[in-house]
Order: sequence, then C-alpha cells, then structure tokens
Amino acid sequence: MDIPTVLVVDDSPTVRKIVQMTLQREYIRVITVSDGLSALSAVADEIPALILLDIQLPRMDGYYICHIIRKNLQFRQIPIIMLSGKDGLFDKMRGRLAGSTEYLTKPFDSEELIQTVKKYLVDWQERMPPQYEAMRPRLRRRG
Amino acid sequence: MDQQDRIMDGDLQTLGLQSILKMLALSGKTGTLLVHSGPETLSISLRKGQVVALREEGVPQPDLLSMLCLINRLDPPRAQALREMSHGNTQVALALMVERNWMSAAEMQQRLEFAVTQSIGHALRWVDGRFAFHRQLVTMESKMQPLDVDSVLLEALRQADEWEEMAGEMGTQLTRTTVARWLPEVNKDVRTLGLSQEYIEVLCLSNGELPLQAMALVLMSPESRIVRIMTRLLEFRLIEVVDPILERELQQDLSNIIIKCQHILAQRQQSSNAEQHLLGLISTLAECINGLLIHHGRYAKSLRGRGQVPTSEIIHYLERRFAQPLQLMARNQYPILETTNFVNGQLDCTDILTLNKLVKGEKLAEFYWEAVQGLTVFLREIFSTLLRDEVGNSHTGRQLDLVWRAFLTEIEQEIQKYQIERAYQHTRLARSRDRTQPQQALRVGIVQNWK
Repeated sequence: MDIPTVLVVDDSPTVRKIVQMTLQREYIRVITVSDGLSALSAVADEIPALILLDIQLPRMDGYYICHIIRKNLQFRQIPIIMLSGKDGLFDKMRGRLAGSTEYLTKPFDSEELIQTVKKYLVDWQERMPPQYEAMRPRLRRRG
Repeated sequence: MDQQDRIMDGDLQTLGLQSILKMLALSGKTGTLLVHSGPETLSISLRKGQVVALREEGVPQPDLLSMLCLINRLDPPRAQALREMSHGNTQVALALMVERNWMSAAEMQQRLEFAVTQSIGHALRWVDGRFAFHRQLVTMESKMQPLDVDSVLLEALRQADEWEEMAGEMGTQLTRTTVARWLPEVNKDVRTLGLSQEYIEVLCLSNGELPLQAMALVLMSPESRIVRIMTRLLEFRLIEVVDPILERELQQDLSNIIIKCQHILAQRQQSSNAEQHLLGLISTLAECINGLLIHHGRYAKSLRGRGQVPTSEIIHYLERRFAQPLQLMARNQYPILETTNFVNGQLDCTDILTLNKLVKGEKLAEFYWEAVQGLTVFLREIFSTLLRDEVGNSHTGRQLDLVWRAFLTEIEQEIQKYQIERAYQHTRLARSRDRTQPQQALRVGIVQNWK
C-alpha cells in the first residue's frame, strides 16, 4: 500500500527535522523545504497528501503560498495546516481567509501534531488529483 | 476476498493450523488460507496443495537488504540500488541479487523457504484465532519454488517445539518482537570475549530497530536460538532490551523541549540591540538546559521504571551528574559560569541575567559573550550525556542527534549574527578613531612647527 506524503514548509531546520522524525515514526513519508518557492515546486512535483506550512518564511509568506495553492484547481483539495508562533485571533482569521484547513500554534506538542496530521490523512487517497495515479511509480521510486 | 469464494472456515481451537494445512495438501487444493489471531494475519497461498507464497500482516516487515548490510553480506550502495530497482519488494530484490551473482539461487530459495517455515512455525503456536480457506488464489509475486506442505510443517513444528522448550527452560521475557540495542558503555573489542560468529552477527543486528524475528530471518536461524543468544549477550551486558513505548514517550518529550526552545530562540531574534540579543541567547540556553534537566530527571536510566522516585533523589542525581562538569568548565574556560549554581536540580543563571545592575558597557557585553559560549558548551555536554544514557547508540538516539544538530545550527547562526554585529561595531569604532587621530597628529605637527 502507498504511504501518504506530507510536505513540511518551515525555515527552521529544527522544526523540519522534528516534524520529519515525528511523522516518519508514524509511517508517514515526509519531504521538507525551507522557503515558499521551493514549497510550490514541491507541491507540483510530489502532490503531497497534506501540507504543514509555516507563516513566516523567506521570500514568500505562508498566507500567500496557501492562497496560491487554493487558487490552483489541481491542488486546492490538499489540506493545509498552518504552523505559526502567533496565537492571536487575527492571525488565525488571516490563515482561514487564505484557505488553511487548520492552525497549529508553535511550540506544538508532538502528540498534538500526530493527531492533527492523522485526522486529515484518513481519506488521503480519495482526495488525490487524477494525475497522482500516473505519478505513483515515480513517487514510489523516490520514497 | 469474496464471501462466496470461502469454502471452509472455523476456529483454531476446533481445528489447528497443522490439521488444516495437511487436509488442504492431501486434497491438492488451490486457494488462499487466511489465519487470524489477535492483530496478526497469515495469508498462505496454495496451488495444488503446495505452498507457493506467504504473507504475514500485523507485524512490521523488516528490510532484508539493510539487515544483509549489517552482517556484512551486502554493500550499502548495492543495497540502495537494489531497493530502488525492486521498489521495496524483498523477493524481487533477492532475484536481482541472484541475477548479479551476489547470491546463489540455492540461497535465495533457502531464504524464501525459511521465511515461510518461520511464519508457519509462529502461527502453529496460536491457540485462539480463526481461519478461512478461499478458493481464490491471491496473486502474490513469488520467486519461490513451490513447497511441499509436509516438509514445511515438519520444520515449522520443530521450530515451534524448540520455542516451547526454550520458553519452559529459560522462562524468558523475550518475545519475537523484542528489540535490542548495544549498550553505550561497551567500548571494548568484542572479539576478546571469544564470541562465535553467530553471536557477533546477533550483536551487529542489535541496532535498536530490528525485532528478534527479523534477526532470525536474516540469519536463517530458529527464533528460539536467537533468544538464547540474546539472553547470553544480555548477561554479558553487551546489549539491552528496548522498551518501544518508553522510547516513543522519551522521544516525544525531547522533541517538545527542543521545539519549545527553538520557538523561544525565534521569538528573541528580533532583539533591538546586541546586548539584548546576547541576553536573549543566555535565557534561551538556560531554559533549554533546564528543560533537558527536567527531562533527564524523568528518563535517566537509573531513575526510570522505578515508579515515583523521591524528588530529593532526582535532584541529588542531577547535581551529582552535571555540577562537576559545570565547575570544571567554570574553572578552566568560562569563569562567568562560577556565578551559576544548581538549585533544586535546575541551573540558576539569575546572577548572569541581572549582571546589568553591576556592570555596564563593553565589559557587560564581554561577560554576556562569555556566558553564551560557556552555556552553549554546557548544553552540548548535557545533551550528549543524556542521549548516551537514555537511548544509547540506537535509531532513536541517532534521530534525536540529527534534530539536536539542527537546533545547535540555529544557535550557532544566532551567535554568528552577534559576532558579525560586534565586528561591525568594532570596525566602525576603529574608523571613527582613525578619522580623529590624523587630525590630532596634524595638530601635534602644527605645534611642532610652532616650536
């Protein structure tokens, strides 16, 4: 059976490594990038089942990336969980308006991260766009 | 699998696996036998009464290629190439090895046969469970020659008997899912212990990731034999048994501490001036050290698994373990650390953090800078001690080490930022001095001329 891929977008190497370690333990494939442009390229290249997206990023912020993904017909169904150090209502609202599915406040708890991610991976295969099937062999080779 | 295809089902207590297999073999049946017990499922494909494939579900499938690398039977680059070509399918990988003359065809058959025998040998010990035989033959890619049920059963029964015998004789706690790892304290040459090749191979495979069943599979040795070897290695204090639940808990706790510290570090990045920057680094480092100390008080090898340990004992343990290295560092390299001390098992840095009440200007920045350097070294010392003690040289240990390195990189970056800022300020100061100095020289010159 295929395993879901989660894309982690965060400029902190620590956060990237921790999320990778935590999710890989749950048999989830994790790919990481550190900036907005690489994130968009990874979305197109890997078609992740879920995106964990930091808000403060170099070159392009998380809200904007989220907005671009939501505008794209192929990728708009991918759940996006925003990761942010800001816990304010305004930031959460802004995230929602940009199209995020969920909001996780940093510093997050590992268990909380696992539960949130798993919640959106239940039916991940059904949500995948049609071209995902064609890409499967290539993705499996990379994994 | 369709219900209508099912031609036989029942309870293992009524009809054991041995009898079912014999019956299907005698009648030359083709189809799939599914046996369930608890979370485990065994799927045996039969063609004309012979075993053609077997799949075990509910137990993690080990990576045979990595295991062959561990016992020095395969080079890691070759293993990686095979993994990519076989798309993770073990049987295809074995066939590719045969194709490239890295393994004989006889060995491949032997390995596949052993895997079948081992799984059936384990399933023969199931008391509770259900079985169902479906007419439909599940197409499982198999490179194995069909196996005669009688010979498989004979070998599987022998393995099952040996397991029972061993369990009765040794009363061991080890199970086929037990994971072991090398003890970090072992640094002597194991060859001096006079261990046989088999023992050394089990030792090599005890990397904190592989279950006992996987070791048996790669060594093609009965699980009971591996238990005996492991028990001996445990007696030699060369390995220890990994508690996966504890390890997971421990990893999560450490991850949470690091994530919290990274968050504090990121928040303090926007400090207005160099002094504030250093102060932010000091308090981040202190919080990180104290977080790790709390963690170690909970998970240190000598404290865990003992229920509620008195707080005084935890404090005493932490101070005994870390106060001396701190004192040494203070004496030899970073005298500023003499102002810190352990209070209730926590590092108290109040004196450093309130130093601005006593010292000002460049001297204050120098003290802060020394504190940052000292605390960074102490933090590294704590983390490596903690990791060595709690998880040793294991998969979890290696993973946490990677995370830790990433976090240290972020701290280093912050330190570098400060260094650049400091260098810039020095240059600016020097330039402004240079600009004033020629004027002074000129003035002196004029005075000289006047004379």
